[in-house]
Amino acid sequence: MSRTRRRWTQLRAGALDTFFSVATGVVYVFLLAPIVIVVVYSFDRSSTGFIWTGFSTHWYRTLFHDGQMWQALRVSLVVGAAAATCATVLGTMSAYAMARRRFRGRALFNALLLMPLVVPEIVLAVAFLVFLVRVRAPLGYFSLICGHILVVLPFTTLIMVAATSGLHRDLEEAAADLGASPRQVVIRVIVPLLLPAMFASFVLAFLFSFDDIVMSTFVNGVGTTTLPLLVYSMLKLGVSPEVNALGTLLVAVTLVLLLTTGVRQATVMLKRG
Amino acid sequence: MAKHFRLLAIAGVLLVGLVALLAACGSSNGGSSGSSSTAPKQLHIYAWSGEIPASTVSAFEKATGIKTTVDTFDSNETMVSKLQSGATGYDLVEPSQYAVQELAQLNLIVALDKSKLTNFSNLMPMFQNVIYDPGDKYSVPWIWGTTGLAYNDKYIKGPVTSWKALWDPAYKGHILMLDNMLAAYIAAFQVNGYNFNSTDKAQIAKASQSLMQQRPLLMGYNATNFAQLLSQGQCWICEAWNSNITPVAASNKHIHYVLPKEGGSFWTDGFVLLKSAKNVDAAYQFINYLLDPAVAAAASNEAHFATANEAALPQIKASIRNDPTVYTPLSELKHATVFLNPTAQTALLQADWTKLRAQ
Amino acid sequence: MATDVATEAPLRVRRARPERHWSTLLLIAPSIALLVGFVVVPFVYVVRVSLATQGPFGSIGTGWTLANYRQFFQTTYLQILGHSVWLSFENTVICLVVGYIVGYFLAFRAGRATPVFVLLLIVPFWASFLVRMSAWMILLSPHGIVASILHTLHVASSSVQLVPSNGAVLVGLLYVFLPSAVLPIYAGLRTVDPSLVEAAKDLGCGTHWRVILPLGRPGIVAAALFVFAPSLGVFVIPVLLGGGKSLIIGNLIVTLYLEFRNMPFGAAVSVVLFVIVMLGIVACLRAMRSADGSEGGLF
Repeated sequence: MSRTRRRWTQLRAGALDTFFSVATGVVYVFLLAPIVIVVVYSFDRSSTGFIWTGFSTHWYRTLFHDGQMWQALRVSLVVGAAAATCATVLGTMSAYAMARRRFRGRALFNALLLMPLVVPEIVLAVAFLVFLVRVRAPLGYFSLICGHILVVLPFTTLIMVAATSGLHRDLEEAAADLGASPRQVVIRVIVPLLLPAMFASFVLAFLFSFDDIVMSTFVNGVGTTTLPLLVYSMLKLGVSPEVNALGTLLVAVTLVLLLTTGVRQATVMLKRG
Repeated sequence: MAKHFRLLAIAGVLLVGLVALLAACGSSNGGSSGSSSTAPKQLHIYAWSGEIPASTVSAFEKATGIKTTVDTFDSNETMVSKLQSGATGYDLVEPSQYAVQELAQLNLIVALDKSKLTNFSNLMPMFQNVIYDPGDKYSVPWIWGTTGLAYNDKYIKGPVTSWKALWDPAYKGHILMLDNMLAAYIAAFQVNGYNFNSTDKAQIAKASQSLMQQRPLLMGYNATNFAQLLSQGQCWICEAWNSNITPVAASNKHIHYVLPKEGGSFWTDGFVLLKSAKNVDAAYQFINYLLDPAVAAAASNEAHFATANEAALPQIKASIRNDPTVYTPLSELKHATVFLNPTAQTALLQADWTKLRAQ
Repeated sequence: MATDVATEAPLRVRRARPERHWSTLLLIAPSIALLVGFVVVPFVYVVRVSLATQGPFGSIGTGWTLANYRQFFQTTYLQILGHSVWLSFENTVICLVVGYIVGYFLAFRAGRATPVFVLLLIVPFWASFLVRMSAWMILLSPHGIVASILHTLHVASSSVQLVPSNGAVLVGLLYVFLPSAVLPIYAGLRTVDPSLVEAAKDLGCGTHWRVILPLGRPGIVAAALFVFAPSLGVFVIPVLLGGGKSLIIGNLIVTLYLEFRNMPFGAAVSVVLFVIVMLGIVACLRAMRSADGSEGGLF
């Protein structure tokens, strides 16, 4: 391989990397631009939202006293965390089985998995509700969480399938050869390797659950109105800018968390010298 | 790399802690388990957001000791569909007028025992015997409003008085119609001089044709944020429900709401009692409580809607009483009507509406 | 990667294969139970409803009929189907391209800051969906920021109508589906063996197209599935950002279920959609598998 050809390949690789970095930057600007708008207008005095009439923290004060919003947020967070956790665990288990084991009916299982993706959510939600009513299941947190798990399970499973398919089998076999029991192989080798994918899977599942409207509308029960449902039901009298304020608060909390972990990162790196 | 995820675990724990904190300072609204025979009395309401102010609910709880939860829905359609599919747990529901008819037809609600509603006579006469529910057999109206049109006088020289303005080519690209079949057909029938309860095939065809002709002039069909778009100026004129216009008209003096001379329509939101209700006594107590003039006036003043309660009118703030986007003068309402059989009308109009939207 | 047991060294034959049967079952059983119980059984009910007559007052009748399916195969509905499939396809392509860019960045270039970037992906979702879409309507409004930028760059006239439009719908769809595209691609690329990449670099070949892309394929396929199928079901974005003049199948089904309360027909449309999409997916996956004969996982 000639030197010039190698240089050329390296340059191309370098240019490609720069392209990826810059393009990603643009995408993140695209992602966060509407949020900037939301934050800015949460401080707007008027109640119509999105026409600047003056600075005010009125909506934050209103939000503070709005028990219904906080209750809805609580429901969404609890359901989201529970559904995302269950779905990630189940997804990892299924994905591992599919990647490592041979079993009959694999195609059928794949088809089963894709069903919640392909069937429109309202059809799924109404049918699930009818099913719950027939078996006299109570409508509330349980039905909500089950419904959300249904909606996000295909996502978590398929992400973990994508992740486990890249997992090198030799690592597990090497660990087994070195004397690790099957359980140790799982805990010490497989799970740490899959952790980034499990994290991605959990995040996606949580997002979908937190934002979910259709399934939540039909299978929620008394006292379990989720946040998106509450916001949608405000449409008739006009969505209050309290929603902007709540969104801003949540964004701020996330950013603070990110900053604190980032600061810890920086201090650790500094200490290392 | 594992260290990163340890940090994230810390972040996760912090987040969970935040949730616990929220749980501690949030209100004591619901989340409790089902009913039990010796438990304190409960009431479960399924209603539009903001139409039963939180202060009203807590005042009721304090006065009667009945623990009340209010869950919200975003449209009559989802509420009816959910109840039709068998969802239970709610006692009182707050549907709009056409949904009352649908719920009654589906056998999901019961006739009300007026003897338990001692404050019933406080309602305006027109709401004691409504055209969509003769004798108020099933429902007790709570608030009302109209379907008409709204415009921004920065772009359109008023006054606008007729549905025809929504077909005006001068406003091409800046007209919005409601994304609701029945609402759109109200305009389409009335602009042709027909009654929108007509089942005459020729009249239906003409109305559909009007909508088809209007399509190229439209900015779109929107039942979500049309009020904001009107206020921002992207839309100049739109078909509207008055309740959506009230907040924007308050801050933008260029916005006007009009009930067109062809009649328009009026809507009411009221309470019905579900057949599957478990807390029937509490439900009647609540409705009766809301029929009290002082309570109705306080709620109306807080949430800026038009109350159906006549006895409460003197206590309504003048600014709200004189707001044309809240109270349409009763004299103007004489041509406004409602759908007498929404289910039947839906069946007749579906095919044309789908064709209109599928181009 | 799919090493056959029979060719391994005799030492390994000692491991008892039968025990794997039970542990496999244990791993998959909960998912199967959940899916069969809560998805398949209700879906059987949906099929039953699709064959039912329409009852009075918008309820479901007790008769049996094929009328609902016959009704679907008319111009209006086929138009809607065609339009929806095309829109989903466009959206999938866009999301895959953008998703790959970000996924690659997260997997290889972000280093220690990766969790931060992943969390930044979810930050927009804290603001309610409606609020985000309204914000886009502002950003894309005639005198909004995007229009101003385009005007300054002399790409568009001063009062270009960016919303409602098909372009605005695609922007909204990208915004909503971006995490669904990025995260699986990231997860797939993350487990790519770096030594393979190094080896390829040392050999001087174009690492990217020849090595990374193929290895990341399971993630990309997952991303395509995550975007294409659900795109067919969206119903708010085409109305808010597209003006609602063209229904897509998601709108149609929701309208049938809620506004028209014609559940039998709605169910029939869903079943047809389900069959078409599943056949399409199976066909694509089969084609991919036969193209390079690999096994393992879904693909």
